[in-house]
Amino acid sequence: MPESEPRLIRGYLEVLAAQLPGPIVEELADGLTETHRSYLSRGLSADAAAEAAVAEFGSAEEILAGFARVNPARRTARRLLGFGPVVGGCWVAALATSRSWPGPLPTRVALGLALVSCIGLLAVAALDRRYRVAFYSGVAGCVGFAALDASLIVGVLVVAGVASWVTAVAMAFSSARIALCARAAAAAQQNT
Amino acid sequence: MRAEELKGHLDALLLATLEGGPRHGYAVIEALRQSTGGRLDLPTGTIYPALRRLEQAGLIAGTWSVVGGRRRREYQLTPAGVRALSGRRAAWRDFSAIVTSALENAGLETPNLENGACPSPNPA
Repeated sequence: MPESEPRLIRGYLEVLAAQLPGPIVEELADGLTETHRSYLSRGLSADAAAEAAVAEFGSAEEILAGFARVNPARRTARRLLGFGPVVGGCWVAALATSRSWPGPLPTRVALGLALVSCIGLLAVAALDRRYRVAFYSGVAGCVGFAALDASLIVGVLVVAGVASWVTAVAMAFSSARIALCARAAAAAQQNT
Repeated sequence: MRAEELKGHLDALLLATLEGGPRHGYAVIEALRQSTGGRLDLPTGTIYPALRRLEQAGLIAGTWSVVGGRRRREYQLTPAGVRALSGRRAAWRDFSAIVTSALENAGLETPNLENGACPSPNPA
């Protein structure tokens, strides 16, 4: 929005820009500018038109809440959290039956901590109403889970191979999760 | 009409505004206002998340252009959006016919008194 636009509209857009990605704010700025112009054409002063435009647009909180609900990171995080116990259960069964637990104790502890961190990041993405926080937590959680899945698949293949059908199922689920993470990353790139 | 009364129908209304061709957010709002005679009391900023949701669902597709030095996002129906609009129109016609019939004719039925039931007395 140009410098000549009323301070009220600039301040309103700054509040939104602090939370939302640039392209979304640009789209909102375009709509707000058109709304402002519409009121100017009806004979209102610049400040009165700005007040009317902002009032018509709704509060910044309403708009932020609306975008929080459609945040793609939120949806992906909820899917991954729902899908997680199934994949985790399969891996526990696969590793228990093949008796090929990944590496020495410190490696297992590190994997466990990484898993807990990824779950925490996805929980933030699924629940936090701040768009940017949810978005970046979701991206980090997705990258983490994809890396964990890839490590598990490669590690098990190197150590024991596909020892049983349970291992094959666990690998298939992990591959599906990697694909979901990759698709979500591509969609996230489109939305920012 | 307030936003909460529109719940569940906003998507169909937005799809309908795009039936005539691509529109940007403000034009969608104006079209919605004109088609409803200005009776929708929606904070217009809430239309934009709804457009994003429809885009994520693959029902509309957005493209950027530059107008007057500003970036503008225009939306148009996808083939899936055209099918969804058609389905929602048909569902709305059915729903509307059923509710209209119930609201206008329910009180005209003769009460069945054979099993001893009787109309409740006027509490006043």
